[in-house]
Amino acid sequence: MSSTGSQAPPDPASTAAPARRGGLAGRAVSIARRSVSAVPQSRQRHPVLYRLVATVLAVCVALVVSGMVSSVTDLDLATGAAMSITILGLSFLTGFSGQVSLGNGAFFGVGCYVFAIWGNHNNSSIGESLLVCTAAGALAGLIVGLPATRLRGPYLAGMTIAVAIAFGSLINQFSSWTNGDQGLNVQSPVTPPAWLANFIGAPISSQRASYMWRADITIVVVGIAFFLMANLFQSRRGRAMRLMRENEVAAELVGVSLPVARVTAFVVAAACAALGGGLTTLVDTTVFGSTFSLTLSIQILTLLVIGGIGTLSGSLIGGLLYAYSITWIAELVSGVGLNSTSKLGSEMNNIIFGALLVITVLVAPLGIAGTLRFVISRRLARRRSQN
Amino acid sequence: MDAFLTSRNVSDILFGLVNGVVYGLVGLGLVLIWRATRVLNFALGAIATAGAYLGLGLLSFHVPFWWCFLLCIPAGMVLGGLTERLLVRPLYGKPEINPIVAMVGLLILIEAVVGSIWGTQNRSVLPPFSYVDFHLGANVVKLSPLALFQVSCAVVLALAIGALFRFTNLGLQLRASAVAPEVSRLLGVRVSRMLTLGWMLACGVAAVAAVIVSSGFISGLTPSGMEGPFAAGFIAAAVGGLESPSGALVGGISLGILEAFVTDYFNPNLVLPYSLLVLVVVLMVRPHGLFTRQVVRRV
Repeated sequence: MSSTGSQAPPDPASTAAPARRGGLAGRAVSIARRSVSAVPQSRQRHPVLYRLVATVLAVCVALVVSGMVSSVTDLDLATGAAMSITILGLSFLTGFSGQVSLGNGAFFGVGCYVFAIWGNHNNSSIGESLLVCTAAGALAGLIVGLPATRLRGPYLAGMTIAVAIAFGSLINQFSSWTNGDQGLNVQSPVTPPAWLANFIGAPISSQRASYMWRADITIVVVGIAFFLMANLFQSRRGRAMRLMRENEVAAELVGVSLPVARVTAFVVAAACAALGGGLTTLVDTTVFGSTFSLTLSIQILTLLVIGGIGTLSGSLIGGLLYAYSITWIAELVSGVGLNSTSKLGSEMNNIIFGALLVITVLVAPLGIAGTLRFVISRRLARRRSQN
Repeated sequence: MDAFLTSRNVSDILFGLVNGVVYGLVGLGLVLIWRATRVLNFALGAIATAGAYLGLGLLSFHVPFWWCFLLCIPAGMVLGGLTERLLVRPLYGKPEINPIVAMVGLLILIEAVVGSIWGTQNRSVLPPFSYVDFHLGANVVKLSPLALFQVSCAVVLALAIGALFRFTNLGLQLRASAVAPEVSRLLGVRVSRMLTLGWMLACGVAAVAAVIVSSGFISGLTPSGMEGPFAAGFIAAAVGGLESPSGALVGGISLGILEAFVTDYFNPNLVLPYSLLVLVVVLMVRPHGLFTRQVVRRV
């Protein structure tokens, strides 16, 4: 949840600044301007603190929004947040280590099933189930990632496509566990855990609250995950990976172990995808085997590319697109006067996303977030040179 | 001899042959494109399906099967050529991920457009051959006239492509522009045309594979019907090393037979996991495939 946000941590120095213009409004404008201009400074001086504050602010905003919107929108918001962490994992894998995976839907599926099955069998708490499903995803990532140490770009992408398709048949193979296409129900509690109920203090028996607490947990967990990933992005390891993507030989020469870096990226991406899957299952409470087709993996890559590879905000944009695009496109279809059950109407979603993906690659390969960042930084540079 | 031909293992081999040639053809298409332009065409299956729909769609207008079948090939070729010219050409020299993503986008787009025109239901396109297996006395040989037709189509096509590359001037130009584009250009080969032609050939080959897949008794024609064959075809091509056309064909046929054995002795659900295992093992042992020589990368 810690996007490139403009939330400023309180800066005591700026409050003491003398106002250039007279009056209360002028002073307020001046303070605001100074505190905004102090953001980059504090970002450089205390990066972790900055990210922490930004994350907490963003999560608080999201929680308030989640409390205000209707329960349908609330659930959409939660699904989008869960998907955004899955996308962020792939963003790390692709944007930092330079590997393309078309099989992250399989890791997502591992998360879904482990969350459901572990929770049902052990009657465990939500936190425990989430940890277990993330760990299982990491393990799956390790298994798939090991051959990846010897494969490059297109080979790897092709292999992961086969993983995505094979996962569907594995679900059918173990249908006594997964219940296949019939769907596996999560026997999760309908009421929130006691501590959360105490914390909210709301009448938890209502229908509304029984949805809301799931969304709230999702938003908080996604916030924590984004905070950790933001730190990883800027860490020594993250920078080493970016170097590996740019120039493998140079990376090797400065002591980056390429196989270790590649597998690490896979493990992180898979863990993120599985966490996203677990959270999605928490929200949806049912897992259907037919969800995990190749289409899901491709959808994750699509959202990532349209949002912007290698950025936190790009993953958030991708998650929001995932949550609301279906509604938007349905409205568009009915707005144009198409029948949504007609051949064209039912395929409109894929037509639009396919075309968007192709156009993005051809016109703006940086995606929404990357292009915006590029435009803004160019404008800032121009303004600086004029001054 | 009769007992041999009707034995379980030989039946499996014959049964696997049909799938095998499909994987071989898809793999061949992938190899042709990879050699020419260093792009792995994830949309190959979708392009082939679209070609098959364009050709076989005429069956509803009571056009004879053979005409429809022959029309599938140019339809696939035109789609392939258009893809190369409009979509892939602007991406040469860009980061490796861009063409991959563009091809994935095209895959979604084509499948959706095909679905929006012809619907996602299974369309039966039975060729004028019987699907009843041959009999030897009281026993069944796992081979029908339909299967024989499918396999022979693939064999003829593979031989034709091989002859084109080996014996014609055009084939020489195609090979030259794949191996050394700069030199070929200096010697007067129109390299960019050859690249387009490589894509066209590959998509034509894949369109035949799509016809074979959809002309089976059970499968029929569906927009996403080539996803599975594409994955298997990729595995076949990668096992062969992505550079070697014959490697892709041999890899595809072996993979099809392996699948038949896995289906028979274990479980149809385990087919793709096992194929993946083969791929992983082969690539762990020989990262550049079984049929190609190790290439030294220079810094």
